[in-house]
Amino acid sequence: MSRAPNPTRRSPRVYTIILACALVFSAADLPAQVELTVAPFMAKGPADAPVTIVDFSDYQ
Amino acid sequence: MKEYDGRIRLIFKDRPLAGHALARPAHEAARCAGAKGKYWEYHDLLFEAQPAFERADLLLYAGEVGLDRAEFARCLDERRFAADVEADVRQAVALGIMRTPTLLVNGRRIEGAPPLEEFRSIIEQALRERR
Repeated sequence: MSRAPNPTRRSPRVYTIILACALVFSAADLPAQVELTVAPFMAKGPADAPVTIVDFSDYQ
Repeated sequence: MKEYDGRIRLIFKDRPLAGHALARPAHEAARCAGAKGKYWEYHDLLFEAQPAFERADLLLYAGEVGLDRAEFARCLDERRFAADVEADVRQAVALGIMRTPTLLVNGRRIEGAPPLEEFRSIIEQALRERR
């Protein structure tokens, strides 16, 4: 017997996609224009801050 | 960098390097923590604990930041965020980012972690350019 999906329950992944926003970086230092997706929980500080630091790191 | 509160937006992007076998699960685990509102606490713990990133370690850290370990284990084992980590890696590669850390400060690329004073100077310059 199949169950009807519960519309109030969302997986974290879906939540992330819904809230994801995008930045587009195009600067002389960079080789190409690349759209960067940003998971909201991986960003901190005001969205209109004058300085944005994108940190590409490896935990290991 | 408390002195820049309100003037900086920090965005973390996953760039596990291919030779680091335990990195990818750690990045996925951090996103599992993020989905439960504990991203930065878990992120900081990972940097303190590196390179102890076996599954049991990742679960232990989840408990340390107050997450439900069983639920966290499901997220990790199902690899719910594997595609998101891979998307970050692809974006990094598209930008030619092959070393870590690599920072983009208003698009200006900085490879490696600069000394604090140099980093402060880079931020001050970026702030001046925005005035």
